[in-house]
Amino acid sequence: MGITPMEIYKLLPKTNCKRCGETTCMSFAFKIINKEKKVEECLPLFEESKYEKQREELLDLLKPLEEATETGLIVDESKCTGCANCIVVCPVHAAEDPYGAGIGYGIKMENPILRVEDGVVKVENLKICRRYGKNRILCVACRENCPTDAITFLEG
Amino acid sequence: MPLQFSKYLKIEVEVVVARNSFQAEAVDKGKMSKKFVEKSAVVFMNEDFARRNGFKEGDIVRLSRRGRSINVKVFICETSPRDGVMMPNSIYSSYLADFDNFKRFRAYIELSDGDVTKPDEIIDQIKNKNKK
Amino acid sequence: MICTGCALLCDDVIIINDSGNLKVRNACRRGAKLIANYKNLRADATINGKKVNYEEAIERVKEIINNSESLAIYGMDTISIEAQKLAIELAERKEAYIDDNSTFCLGDFVEMILKKEIPSTTLDEVRDYAYVIFYWGTNPFHTLSRHMSKFTYYPRGKRRQRGYEEDRFLVVVDVRRSHTAKLAKKNAKFFEVRDDLELIQAFIDALDGKPPKIFANDVFRVIKEMEKSDFNVIFGGLGLRYGLKGKYDKFLEMIRKMNERTKVYFIPLGCHPNMRGFNELLYGITGYVNKYSFKDKESKEDFAFYNLLFEEKIDTALIIGTDPLNSLPFEYAKKLAKINVIVIDPRENFTTKIADVVLPSAITGIECGGKMKRIDGVEITLEPMIEAEIDDVSIIKSILNLIMEGI
Repeated sequence: MGITPMEIYKLLPKTNCKRCGETTCMSFAFKIINKEKKVEECLPLFEESKYEKQREELLDLLKPLEEATETGLIVDESKCTGCANCIVVCPVHAAEDPYGAGIGYGIKMENPILRVEDGVVKVENLKICRRYGKNRILCVACRENCPTDAITFLEG
Repeated sequence: MPLQFSKYLKIEVEVVVARNSFQAEAVDKGKMSKKFVEKSAVVFMNEDFARRNGFKEGDIVRLSRRGRSINVKVFICETSPRDGVMMPNSIYSSYLADFDNFKRFRAYIELSDGDVTKPDEIIDQIKNKNKK
Repeated sequence: MICTGCALLCDDVIIINDSGNLKVRNACRRGAKLIANYKNLRADATINGKKVNYEEAIERVKEIINNSESLAIYGMDTISIEAQKLAIELAERKEAYIDDNSTFCLGDFVEMILKKEIPSTTLDEVRDYAYVIFYWGTNPFHTLSRHMSKFTYYPRGKRRQRGYEEDRFLVVVDVRRSHTAKLAKKNAKFFEVRDDLELIQAFIDALDGKPPKIFANDVFRVIKEMEKSDFNVIFGGLGLRYGLKGKYDKFLEMIRKMNERTKVYFIPLGCHPNMRGFNELLYGITGYVNKYSFKDKESKEDFAFYNLLFEEKIDTALIIGTDPLNSLPFEYAKKLAKINVIVIDPRENFTTKIADVVLPSAITGIECGGKMKRIDGVEITLEPMIEAEIDDVSIIKSILNLIMEGI
């Protein structure tokens, strides 16, 4: 799991044509991962037939990115046992919901990041996740404590 | 004693019996359901063990112990014992176990051409042997 | 509501009725699926596999029990304390045997706790105070999925404010790297053992100041961690129970020696929602936790349900809320087909297939209330979604009344 900017870069035209608005193909690759740019903005890749093969490969590579949330968090419900480790370890939950998730109980706060519903964890409100937005922290507490790998992050 | 030829290699292996919550969910769907068989008639092994012994996910294997045997499906699972296999608690594991070796016993495992054993086949064993 | 999916009896489960669609919040997979599937595969009243009405079935039960000279009542780990009480009363009237799953599960440990041979505590105390937390031969991630997040390693507690990374130390002992063992990362130790007794001996040796034969460094490190706190806890499961091979004294010796240095408590981890309740109830009435004969007025190995079957000492089994055909080894299960079997259960199971009479009941916690005891002995009052007309209490009461007529 996890996609690196380098993997994306390798499949781009590598001409630094700047048509996407970025100065280099490498920085464009970074922006794709951060979801600030869409791969379709690389016009040569879609216009020129010689790139067809690598375009297909790149779209394949980026598939999980589409399924991932804004923070790169991916939940595979089929692997989840609903143990709620992720919910209790989450530092945001601990701070915002000290008498609910903070002490192990079911979520009591409004709009938590994650919630267990029908026996599996569901993403509810990523806006308050420490990974969200510009000044994000690459916190991995939820993934670290999920032994069945039901939670993964794009960048691995 | 005449030489016995078997189509597949048969090895002795330690079986650990352990609950898992996906199988528990299948129990709630009903013990006569397909899901129950799908999640119970299984043997888990780690990748390394499977490779070394020529098994792969989806294979049907025969597990036998003390004259009783069942056919179950192989699943690859990293939490299986290093040098053995694992089964969930169910009529299948109970069919092979006894109380001296309730959670851990030794059994033979080999590839099988047959289908996965159905719970009814075990229940028939339980009934037939007695109500004759 | 209170979830009866396992012995944690979680009290924070919320059911949302989304225009007929039930949504279950906070319960784990095990619990949520029990609630979501509660209408699946329900049992019918049957006699010899043929559908009958409830009155006919209970009339047949009366006949069988009245004609029985040697009756055993078995199971009861998923029903309320109120229903268990009535089942025990029935056993007393009939001078019957009574036993539950704890005999081959963790009943021995519960008895030691009730007799104060081993110090125990509650999960709420564990959350507030425990530092070193052992999981020995148990994989709560699958059996009691919220155990670690709700009560032990992950939640913050009164004296454990800084969370699992600083304020807890996790020890996992198992024969395989289970999902629980995978969580033993920082401030943690996983002992992958072949033989539990070897590790117990290693701890005893270390506590005696002798060099342990295996895991020498790790054993000393864990003891050092335990000495940092005055509250440590060991959770033991079936892996420990069978790993001990009957040598409970070795385990008790280890616990005693640990308690000379620091404070350590023990809680057995069984899965059935009210197994602890049955053990405590029977103990209060007879002085024994299971495998009791009201005729002989004592408890012994011979009176374990599986031994009664094996030795063919009973002519009738009344099985309540359990499925011995699923859980008992074949050599024992096959004997059930020889005797009269009455099953009281909300669901069809393998035993109902061979039963002479099946009496359909309600799912405790969902369709009927009462009290249960959590894994640590704390009593919980259930909050069912609906109240079924017929439940374990009403069924066993009717049987009792009908049998009284016969006497």
